[in-house]
Amino acid sequence: MNKRIQKSFALLKQQHRMGFMPFLVAGDPDLKTSLKIAKVVARHADFLEIGFPFSDPIADGPVIQAANQRALQVGINPDKVFSFIGKLTNFTAVPITILIYSNLVLRYGINKFYDKAKKAGVSGILLPDVPVEEIRPFYEKAKRYGLDQILLVASTTTDVRLRKILQYASGYVYAVSVLGVTGPRKTLSPTALQLVKKIKLYTNLPVVAGFGISTRQQANLLRRQGASGYIIGSALIDFINKHRTKPKFCDRLTGYLQSLKI
Amino acid sequence: MPEILMSALEELERSYKKFQNDNNAQAELAKLLQSYVGRSTPLYFADRLTKRIGGARIYLKREDLTHTGAHKINNALGQGLLAKYMGKTRIIAETGAGQHGVAAATVSALLGLDCTVYMGIVDMKRQKPNVSRMRLLGAEVKPVEVGSQTLKDAINEALRDWIAHPYDSYYLLGSVLGPHPYPTMVRNFQRIIGKETKQQIKDLVGRLPDYLVACVGGGSNAIGLFYDFLREKNVKMIGVEAGGNGIRSGCHAARFAGGRLGILHGTKSMVLQDKYGQIQSTHSISAGLDYPSVGPEHSNLFEKGRVYYSYVTDKQALEAFRLLAKTEGIISALESAHAVSYAIKLARTLSKKKIIVINLSGRGDKDMPIVAKELNL
Repeated sequence: MNKRIQKSFALLKQQHRMGFMPFLVAGDPDLKTSLKIAKVVARHADFLEIGFPFSDPIADGPVIQAANQRALQVGINPDKVFSFIGKLTNFTAVPITILIYSNLVLRYGINKFYDKAKKAGVSGILLPDVPVEEIRPFYEKAKRYGLDQILLVASTTTDVRLRKILQYASGYVYAVSVLGVTGPRKTLSPTALQLVKKIKLYTNLPVVAGFGISTRQQANLLRRQGASGYIIGSALIDFINKHRTKPKFCDRLTGYLQSLKI
Repeated sequence: MPEILMSALEELERSYKKFQNDNNAQAELAKLLQSYVGRSTPLYFADRLTKRIGGARIYLKREDLTHTGAHKINNALGQGLLAKYMGKTRIIAETGAGQHGVAAATVSALLGLDCTVYMGIVDMKRQKPNVSRMRLLGAEVKPVEVGSQTLKDAINEALRDWIAHPYDSYYLLGSVLGPHPYPTMVRNFQRIIGKETKQQIKDLVGRLPDYLVACVGGGSNAIGLFYDFLREKNVKMIGVEAGGNGIRSGCHAARFAGGRLGILHGTKSMVLQDKYGQIQSTHSISAGLDYPSVGPEHSNLFEKGRVYYSYVTDKQALEAFRLLAKTEGIISALESAHAVSYAIKLARTLSKKKIIVINLSGRGDKDMPIVAKELNL
């Protein structure tokens, strides 16, 4: 268990607030711009989720796929992402979870990767393509380096699977709030709300909802079911991509981030 | 695999076991393999080709003569029946060369299921005849414009579709790839190739062959031929990958020559990747071999040393393609021409007593636009 994530949720609870966790792909559209954007975003966030660009992100919709491609085109690799995160953690105390597809970790070396993540100041690691059956080698390294291994639960997850997942989950439980890949949806489905409620019955860990969320209204609905945090990725990346080159971008981004906060 | 699909995969595994033990379901599959697919397919002695090469005797397992023209139908029919057995109403499939897409569309038409096929736009251009066939059969062909726009990306999109529709849709994966139980299931549906071959060669010459040669993209036709011979120690097996423009050029799909162990599409196997683990683009003249990973069972057979893996370049495959057409009157798929090319080289080094069986996995009509251009026809 990583103290930073735990502490942040405890603090939010005292303040009766829901945690806002924006998601960005490191190095999109290039390392320098990305760092500048991440610093602005961090000022308005309770947590950050940072994606490592990967060539084949199967759980992601078009917006995040394109962000991955932009980052890869300028030569972003895991070492560069770690240095990016290092700079970010020097700047902000907001806990950082990284999202990374398993082949990159495997290629880097699991032990070396988790060690490096710890040194860069990461708090949690999420592997969107590793099911609980295969999590053990990663989970053990997370424990060794004092990082939270974040696991996903979907509306398709059976009760048997949910119990298994909760044996390994720490930090928070990531509730996949759509039946599909990442990307904004106009409305939240009733099953997403039921999912949050169900997870809360099984665990005391905070539940953070992600996938398909793009407004604070949606976040509020999830909060009523017991969610402690919400992730906004595609909608934010889309906004940044559309406004990045316009005048007063920082002000626009700040305004947008404020509109997303509860 | 993402958690969202894990329950669907568990359901698939359970249903497949039930399907395997259901006599009625198995009888229906057997009946359709015979009356609809046209099995068994002949094992043909390529007399003129053998004489031309002047070495080992070459036999062709004629999977190109199945309905729809490739071994892909064996698996598509099996899984199509399974989908129906599970009460699914819609088929999702990916395709590279289009042969699996056509097989999936055909079976969907036969069984009254909706069908969506994902295909990279690079492949749509080079395998145009198959795109029209799928559409005629009532399938929706969805062009994939991201990434390398070939099979790898078609699988990504098919998986994304399945992630959004895990309840009503059945993902009909076309090769021995992807998460469990697909590699096992697809292999079992393709085993019939080797089973028939074993009986046929015994009937024809009274003994087993010395060599089996098959092309390897994902590896379903190869594993289908090899599987029932794996315990026969005297039968040597060669899987032939796409050498593209040559290994040094970097433009190829030879995973065993240039890949490393990695994870792609829910399976751990040999993967062409860069030093950071980004999946690399591949190149082959044949769309069906143009994929950066290979079935995990092949990786295992490679490690054990049971199967030898080699590669053949685009140019060599085209030469074999032409030679087979001229000597035997058989226009093979470019994929299968890779196996033919390797087998010809091998036959030359062997005595006339030796026997080679090539899996002629598909026919070449789909390749005519490319071949006409490459060979100035």
